[in-house]
Amino acid sequence: MSDYACDWRSYGHIAFQERGSVALEADYVVVGSGPGGSGAALVLARAGFEVCVVEAGPWRDPGDYPESMLGAMRDMMPDWGATVAVGDSIMPIVQAAVVGGGTVINSAIMVRTPDDVLADWRERHGLGDLFDERAMGLQHDAVDRELAVQRTPEGANFGSNNAMLLSALQRRQLGGKAILRNVVGCQGSSSCLQGCRAGAKQSANLGWLPEVIARGGTVISCARVDRVVFERGVAVGVRGRSRHPRTRVLGAAVDVRARRGVVIAASAVQTPLILQRSGIRLPALGRHWRVHPGAAVVGVYDHPVDMQRGATQGTASVHFRDGIAIQDGRPIAGTGENGIKIESLALPLELLAGRAAGAGQALIERLRDARHQAVWISAVRAEAEGTCRLGLFGQADVRYKPTQRDLRALRAGSHLLAALHFESGARLVRPGVVGLPAEIAPDQLPLLAEAPLDNRCWTWVLSHLFGGAVMGNDPQRSVVAPDLHVRGVRRLHVACAAALPTTLGVNPQHTILAVARILAERLANGA
Amino acid sequence: MRRLVEHALGAVFPTSAGIPGLERLDYGARLDEVLRGPPLMRLGLYAATLLFVLLPIWTVYTPLPSLLLSPSRLDRHANQLASSRIYLLRQLMLLLKTVGGLLWGADPEVRQALGLSPLGPDPGTFRGDELRVAAESPPRARR
Repeated sequence: MSDYACDWRSYGHIAFQERGSVALEADYVVVGSGPGGSGAALVLARAGFEVCVVEAGPWRDPGDYPESMLGAMRDMMPDWGATVAVGDSIMPIVQAAVVGGGTVINSAIMVRTPDDVLADWRERHGLGDLFDERAMGLQHDAVDRELAVQRTPEGANFGSNNAMLLSALQRRQLGGKAILRNVVGCQGSSSCLQGCRAGAKQSANLGWLPEVIARGGTVISCARVDRVVFERGVAVGVRGRSRHPRTRVLGAAVDVRARRGVVIAASAVQTPLILQRSGIRLPALGRHWRVHPGAAVVGVYDHPVDMQRGATQGTASVHFRDGIAIQDGRPIAGTGENGIKIESLALPLELLAGRAAGAGQALIERLRDARHQAVWISAVRAEAEGTCRLGLFGQADVRYKPTQRDLRALRAGSHLLAALHFESGARLVRPGVVGLPAEIAPDQLPLLAEAPLDNRCWTWVLSHLFGGAVMGNDPQRSVVAPDLHVRGVRRLHVACAAALPTTLGVNPQHTILAVARILAERLANGA
Repeated sequence: MRRLVEHALGAVFPTSAGIPGLERLDYGARLDEVLRGPPLMRLGLYAATLLFVLLPIWTVYTPLPSLLLSPSRLDRHANQLASSRIYLLRQLMLLLKTVGGLLWGADPEVRQALGLSPLGPDPGTFRGDELRVAAESPPRARR
C-alpha cells in the first residue's frame, strides 16, 4: 500500500504525489475522465461498485480556469496543445488533459447519434442490437435529463456571431438551429474553450466525478497511466506515474489494482497508446483512426460582431451531412460527395491573431477590425483513415491525410460559408487558403470554388477524434468485440471515442457518453 | 536565443497606428513560460526564429541577418516568410504567429486599443496545489 496514511483516501481525490507510491484497489479502474470515463465511472459507482478513476491531468475547478488561450493551452491541454497529426501537412489535434477531459473545454454540444450511424454500425460492423436506436435513445434521454441539455436560448446571451449564422441558414432553409448544449444559466461569456468560469457548463468535474467520489470512489489526478497490468491473460490493474502539472516533475509511482476489470477511456489518441504500451498486439490496434477535420472562414462586417459575447458555439446545421458539392455556384446536398457540418465558433483574439494571413503590418491591419469579424466553420465527415501509434520516444505518432474527396467537401463548405457571410452583409471574407487572396470581395466568390485541393494550402484543425481501438465483429478490423472487451484478454474494456468505428457527422460527445454508459451497465449487470 | 525569439516575435506583431506591438509590451514572464514548455514546441520556436533571422537574403535579397534590416525591410521580410510558397517555412512561421498571437492577443493594452475587454488572470492552480489556499486544499497527506 501507499507510503501515505489514508486520510486522503477518505477525501476521495489524490492529486500529485511527490514521493513514495500510491497503491489502491478498487472494483473497477477507469483510465481517463472525459465523457467516456466519467460516464462509465458514474454508472458503475451508482451500481454499488468501488471505482477508481485515473486521469493524467490535474483537477481544476472553475476558479482555477484560465482566461487566456495561452493559459488554456498550458493548463488544459496535453503538451500545451502541441499534439499534431502528420500526413502531407501538419494538423493540430485539440484534446484535453484535465479532470473531466473534453467536457471541460468543449462547447458543451450534445447531439444524439444519428440513426444512419447506428444502422451502419449494426450492418457493416456487426455490432448487433447492443447499440441500436432504442438502447442509445434511452441513454441519450437519461443524459439529457441529468445534464440539463437544452437548446441554446436565442436571447441576449446568444451572441451576434451565432445569431447571424442562424439567420443566414434559415434564410436559405439550410436547417440552421440553435445548438443543444449541457449548460445551465449560460452568461454568454464566450469562454467555453478555456473552461466555463461561471460554472454553467455541466462538465464532468463539477457533477459526475464528485458523485463518483460521494459514492465511495476515488479520483487520482496528475497520474499518467503507462500500462495495463495482466495476470494470466486477465487485466488486473494499471500502473503509472504521478506528474506535477506545472513543473512536469515525475513523482510517486501509481499502482491501482482492479478486482473486476479495467476500463480504458483515455481518448482516440491515448487509448491506443496505452494498449500498445501494455503489450496488446492486434492487427487493428492504432488503425482506423478518423476525425472531423475542420477549417474556418472569417467574415468582416461594417458593424461590430463582438464574438467575445455570446455562446462560444450557438448555431449549427447538418443539412449537408450526407454530402455537399458546388454546382453553378450553389451548394447541392447529398451528391455522393462527403458531407460537412456547419457551426459558428467564437475565436478569441489570440487565436484569430495566429490564423490571420501574413505577418508584420499586414497582419496587424487584419486584426484591427477584430470586433467586426465573425467566424463560421465547416467540419468534414471525412473518409480518410489514419493511424495512431507509439513514437520513437513514447509520444503519439499520428499519421493522417485527408483524401481529395475530403478536400472537395471542405472546399464546398468554405464556399458556402463565404456565400453566407456575403449574404449576411460581410464586406469581405478571409478564407485562410494559400493560393487565394487573403481577402476576397463578393465578386471574387467563384475563386473559392476553384481553391487548390492541396492539404498544405488549408489551415485544418482536428477536434473530433475517433478510432484507434475500434469495436466490431471482425477480428482483423477491430480491437474490441461488440461488447467492448479487448480481444484476447479478459476484463479489459474500451469506453471512449477510440472504440467508435466510424465518424458521425455530428458532435461525438453524446455518442461517447451513451456507448460508455451501455458498457458500464453491462458490466454492472455481470456481463 | 531568447533575444532572437523576441526579435522575431516583435517583427511579426509590430506596433501599428495606435496598436502596440510586442516590442512595446511586457510579455517576458509569459514567454519564459512558453520556453519552459514542451521541448518540441521550444525546438520549433527556435528553428522558426533561426530561419527568420537568416533568410532575408531569400525574401528581400539582402545578405544580412534580420536584426540588421531597416524597419520597412524587416516588415516585408516577415510578411514574405509568412506567405511563403514553401510549406515548411509557412508552418514554422505559423508557429511564431501562434505563439506571438497568444502573447499579443492577451495583452491588456492591445485589447484596450482594439476595444476588447481585458482578460482576467490565469491562476494555473489545481486541487491539491500548494498555491491554492489551504482552506480549499484536500487534507494534507501524512507520512
